[in-house]
Amino acid sequence: MKRVTIAIVSLIVVLVLVFSSLAPGCKGSKAGPAGGATPAATRVITGAGELTLLSDDPPTLDPALAGDTTSASYIVEIFSGLVTINRELKVVPDIAERWDISDDGKTYTFYLHPNVKFHDGKEVKASDFKYSMERACNPSTESIVADTYLGDIVGAKDMLSGKASEVRGIQVIDDTTLQIEIDAAKPYFLAKLTYPTAFVVDNANVKSRNLTSKPNGTGPFKLKQWQRGEKIVLEANENYYGGVVKLKRVNFLLAGGSSMTMYENGEVDITGVGLTDIERVLDPANPLNKELVVASELSVGYVGFNCTMPPFDDVKVRQAFNHAVDKEKIIEVVLKELVDPAKGILPPGMPGYNEGLKGLEYDPVKAKRLIAESKYKDVANFPAITISIPGTGAAVPPTSEAIIEMWKVNLGVEVKIQQVEWATYLDDLKRHKFHMFEVGWIADYPDPQDFLDLLFHSNSLENNAGYSNPEVDRLLEQARVEKDINARLRIYQQVEQMIVNDAPWLPLWHGKSYLLVKPYVKGFYPAPMTIPMFKDVYIEGK
Amino acid sequence: MLLLAVSFFTFALGYYGPGDPVQVLMGQHSNPEVVARIRHERGLDRPFFEQYLRYVWRALHGDFGESYKFQGQSVGELIPRKVLVSAQLGLAALAISIVMGIPLGLMAAVKQGTWLDTGIVSATLLGVSSPVFVTAPALLFLLAYKLHFLPSYGWGGLFDAHIIMPALVLGIPPIAGLTRLMRASTLDVIGQDYVRTARAKGLLERTVLSRHIARNAILPVFTVIGLSLATLVEGAFITETFFGIPGIGRLTVDSLFARDYPVIMALTLLVAVAYIIANLVVDIGYTFLDPRIRYG
Repeated sequence: MKRVTIAIVSLIVVLVLVFSSLAPGCKGSKAGPAGGATPAATRVITGAGELTLLSDDPPTLDPALAGDTTSASYIVEIFSGLVTINRELKVVPDIAERWDISDDGKTYTFYLHPNVKFHDGKEVKASDFKYSMERACNPSTESIVADTYLGDIVGAKDMLSGKASEVRGIQVIDDTTLQIEIDAAKPYFLAKLTYPTAFVVDNANVKSRNLTSKPNGTGPFKLKQWQRGEKIVLEANENYYGGVVKLKRVNFLLAGGSSMTMYENGEVDITGVGLTDIERVLDPANPLNKELVVASELSVGYVGFNCTMPPFDDVKVRQAFNHAVDKEKIIEVVLKELVDPAKGILPPGMPGYNEGLKGLEYDPVKAKRLIAESKYKDVANFPAITISIPGTGAAVPPTSEAIIEMWKVNLGVEVKIQQVEWATYLDDLKRHKFHMFEVGWIADYPDPQDFLDLLFHSNSLENNAGYSNPEVDRLLEQARVEKDINARLRIYQQVEQMIVNDAPWLPLWHGKSYLLVKPYVKGFYPAPMTIPMFKDVYIEGK
Repeated sequence: MLLLAVSFFTFALGYYGPGDPVQVLMGQHSNPEVVARIRHERGLDRPFFEQYLRYVWRALHGDFGESYKFQGQSVGELIPRKVLVSAQLGLAALAISIVMGIPLGLMAAVKQGTWLDTGIVSATLLGVSSPVFVTAPALLFLLAYKLHFLPSYGWGGLFDAHIIMPALVLGIPPIAGLTRLMRASTLDVIGQDYVRTARAKGLLERTVLSRHIARNAILPVFTVIGLSLATLVEGAFITETFFGIPGIGRLTVDSLFARDYPVIMALTLLVAVAYIIANLVVDIGYTFLDPRIRYG
């Protein structure tokens, strides 16, 4: 017995010793205090109070590289740029205190606030902006977003393709004046500057390779700590130019876990609410209901038809598929009112959103009639139809099942489902291989151009449905350079109605985010776009 | 040799398979010009063998590249910390399985045919049939939420209360297998001549059990345990995500969907190495455990 015991026991002991001695910093990775025992603030104290919530690891904290919402959500707290968006989704000054636009709409002159400082106290100059934007346009930075957000600047595309070593459209007039020239009079250019790609970074910070580990930003918070997969801690920037930051610290717990459970346990202060919990949270008798905050998401979920593939090459067929679906019923029964039904493309809250838009309402009789009027005359003449859905599980989302059932009952069409894993799905979507597909779109910047132009102009790469209408194209091109904001929005509304009538899509719903916020968290506003969320938050009455 | 084969195969799958990491990064905004440009910057448009050989060369120097998803983060920084966490959890789970499984199996065999035997076998069957996504929330609800006995989330290292629930969730199902194996092995040994001899010699039953039966019955179990040591580096996606454990499970799944090839390659190689080491450990261990087996 001895030899066996010694061998096994020593093996286990060795393994234990090896692993526990090698495990770095385990003591530092304890989760947020259980039971919510953070230091209490019973009155508003500037620079006091902590907020804790669950989040995900950002793929990157580099403003020039970030293309996803998670990264952007941290970056907007640590860094900032010329302009930002306010709660009404209007572009407002940030580091630039004002700007002029030339008569031809192509030259923007930004006047920076004097005395804006990086976290280390260094002053921000116009040349820092030129440096930052050129860095994003430098091919060796490998930015996937520079084309989208900075590509309109004269010379940006040249630098990105390696033909130039600077962006000549960006000119430093003096320390506090920056001039940017764009290639056409695009009013939505300013909105694009609110996104991290145009934010300012400190070139010494970049050279010392500390940009993402010890960022020297200009935002309301500093990065105190980032342990991948465990936590991120942001600490207030006492010298923030945009006002006093009332919170001392924000803790993001990154390792997963059940956010709702932790909220109810008092371990986090804010949480999202999902389908499984939404019923009890919406119930007015439930105390959680008082802590519910609802915000629009500026998104649209839809079924897209491949307009070049039969039977969807006939507009009447597409319209019929629209009229055959009762969205309100699906939202009521399957989604428990979690989202709003979509009549058109633009979500509520987006400038240009049209309350009076006429959607293709649920009308099964009309749907059948349209099929008969189409060139196919009868569903029996349809080729086999497949709808492609992104996903990996064996289960299809119940909403998709409901839609397909409605097509079967109301039109007599059997639609097959194909579920494809996301990376492959994206590939095939871009190659227009799908017959019918279900996907969504969320706003990059608060301008209707981001939806209507990007998704429906016949030359646009994001036009997944292969939709082409020369009249729509012409109007979209006109709207791109229309200076009068009301005229511009009217054009977009006209275009939206035309698109809805042409039915390249079956618009399904607009997303909403449901959050629970503890009563002692004040000043929190769940913005539908990625803007700094924590600088006005304070803790009171805890 | 094995490592080269594994790395080659994985690399080829990634290269020729559908889905592109840059395209995934860009999502629906992917623009073929930009994708092509970034692929070129990263050397992803080079011929297959050039890319593969470059990878192997760098790997031999300890450079496993940078993650595509976590842009700029070196794989060598990203992985080890998480693997250690998963390994600790795995070790705790393994300890639970062994500590419960072996004695139970021994007991079941010794009391073969009695209600104790049936009871043990049924109980472990229950344990192995309960899926992680049932046991985890059940334990969480009971021990953390209702009784406030244990913390619901987070990680504090091997000797901290946070490890208890996830280790239970992961450690209980394998008990069934170990118990049955130990039981079968013990029954086999009990039937051997030398056991009868030992009893005939008049030794105490306890001595017979410990010196002759257990020691020999444990051999096949040892093989299984030894090989399963390799799985310590794999991590358990569902359990880790559920309990907020910063292990390797989540990273593995995310990397696959994001086509984060440098991370996928490194993880695959890691698992291959782990199996090789586990095999060695088992082989060497045998020389200590079984005097009949000697090498050289």
